Amino acid sequence: MYIEHLAVWDYRNFGRAELWPAQEGVTLLAGPNGSGKTNLLEAVGYAASLRSFRASPTASLVRAGCQQGLVSAAVRRDGRALQLEAEVLVSGRGRLRLNRQAVRRPEDFVGALLVTVFSPDDIELVKGGPQARRDYLDAMIVALSPKLALVAANLERALRQRNALLRSAGGVLRPGMEGVLDVWDDKVAEAGEALVTAREQLVMALVPEVEAAYRELGGREKVELHYERSWDGALLDALRTSRALDLRRGVTGAGPQRDELHFCLDGLVARMQASQGQQRSLALALRLGGHALVTRRQGTVPVLLLDDVFSELDGRRSAALAACLPPGQVLLTAAGAVPADLSVAAAAEVSAGSVFSSPPGGAHGPDGSEGVRDGS
Amino acid sequence: MYATPVQELIDELGRLPGIGPKSAQRIAFHILKSPAEDAARLANAVNAAKTRVTWCRRCFNFAETDPSADDGTGVECDICSNPRRDPSVLCVVEEPRHVVAIEKSGWFKGRYHVLMGALSPIDGIFAEQLRIKELLARIEAEGVSEVILCTDPDQEGSATAMYLVREFKHLPVKLKVTKVAVGLPVGSELEFADELTLTMALEDRREVS
Ligand SMILES: Nc1ncnc2c1ncn2[C@@H]1O[C@H](COP(=O)(O)OP(=O)(O)OP(=O)(O)O)[C@@H](O)[C@H]1O
Ligand SMILES: [Mg+2]
Ligand SMILES: [Zn+2]
Repeated sequence: MYIEHLAVWDYRNFGRAELWPAQEGVTLLAGPNGSGKTNLLEAVGYAASLRSFRASPTASLVRAGCQQGLVSAAVRRDGRALQLEAEVLVSGRGRLRLNRQAVRRPEDFVGALLVTVFSPDDIELVKGGPQARRDYLDAMIVALSPKLALVAANLERALRQRNALLRSAGGVLRPGMEGVLDVWDDKVAEAGEALVTAREQLVMALVPEVEAAYRELGGREKVELHYERSWDGALLDALRTSRALDLRRGVTGAGPQRDELHFCLDGLVARMQASQGQQRSLALALRLGGHALVTRRQGTVPVLLLDDVFSELDGRRSAALAACLPPGQVLLTAAGAVPADLSVAAAAEVSAGSVFSSPPGGAHGPDGSEGVRDGS
Repeated sequence: MYATPVQELIDELGRLPGIGPKSAQRIAFHILKSPAEDAARLANAVNAAKTRVTWCRRCFNFAETDPSADDGTGVECDICSNPRRDPSVLCVVEEPRHVVAIEKSGWFKGRYHVLMGALSPIDGIFAEQLRIKELLARIEAEGVSEVILCTDPDQEGSATAMYLVREFKHLPVKLKVTKVAVGLPVGSELEFADELTLTMALEDRREVS
């Protein structure tokens, strides 16, 4: 799948901007710091997931001084044309349109466009807390099997209910409350077992993909991924066992919300013992490995969004990445130089709120050097 | 800031479920622009509903107050007081609006029991806040032999159904308990059913030969 055309209005630092990426291969978004390169990738990510991959609230995507903005993407997926339009509002939920038809439920919009994002923040996958790693797995589970989004949502809901009950009990269960806690235990266990099974299966499928990606990126260490549950045996039994403790703490101690995904390089714990560069390579391998898996399982290649990848890698690893980019559409930002052997299919110049990009076969030539100015 | 009565109207409308500040303002202006008798009809309808409608003492559906029939123990709704409805089958729902929805189908000939919500500790709703005690009492007292659980298919609704199933086990009566199937909408094409509905419909499949 690929994006034919991206347009944004009153979005971040753009009044109006357009981008015509190359259908296949790398489209390079070049420009100085603060010009809006990451903002454009973020807009593509927003059209895919209705969330900012920088975890910014939607309101902050609206151009300063405006009440609303718009992100619009023309996408080709297996020969089918999809027109995605998402409003971003300062307050409230923006309207969504798919092929010019209003879409009410966000879940009917999300997933029409698939993307894989790598951003410099992804080093947190390796270095940061376990939540980022659980989110990494859960997002991929949903990309591979959209109906499992409900399992994750059910677990979250059941946990909120169970924790509310624990807190309202204030340490001791009143008679009659026990039966209510019993059913929320069941609900947590039901969704929790389903989610943990999906996560463990995913990790098994990911191992060879991440290993391969890490090797192609020039890493020589052996990569290990290991999923660790926060409980033994059946989750329902674990919840019953931890009930007294949970009541005292007011929070559920067992379940997928407390699990960990461990990474090791040559047997050393990546989070604490790997070098900065190794951690970056591993984070990138986790994304590229996931990208390969989704590509194979879904039978369509997600659009790959690489933000500032080269700024953090040494020459050897940068060259390795340039050489091993997977097929499909890649949008890549760079503030500085890119490896000499990176093959660039199209280039766009981003400078303070405007983009120089050319439509393919347009009057300005396909290389983007003579772009139309779409400033505000 | 608007004149006080206007602002009060906007504030009151804004307290209604699903009405945000913008809609409240729009409705208020609409009311102010419309003829006085339209506004009076609306006000009367609100008043009449509030004074004439109460909860059925048996099933907690809406019921119309009837001073002549009320001996101080409350009134019954049209369904409970209808002798042609089968008292041995109870359909348990969360809200009165669900009664209306099922009645539209015309299929169900038994009586209802409205729980007045679902278990939701987040909202401070535990078993005591629902009409569960009353339901359990009815089953014995009214000779109920079948209960159809028709709570919402969300987490709260299914937790409530699960809770009721356990409570029924403690009753000294033999009770058939069923749950509504989640199925495919009639008249729609299979390929347009969302994945989840399809999965649930497949899981709830029935033997045909
Ligand atoms: N809502 C907004 N309205 C206006 N401008 C905004 C808004 N949000 C962010 N910006 C501006 O966008 C710019 C950042 O853009 P972006 O992060 O895309 O830069 P970049 O080209 O990726 O730079 P770098 O090379 O440093 O990563 C900042 O200068 C910021 O002031
Ligand atoms: Mg950037
Ligand atoms: Zn009644």
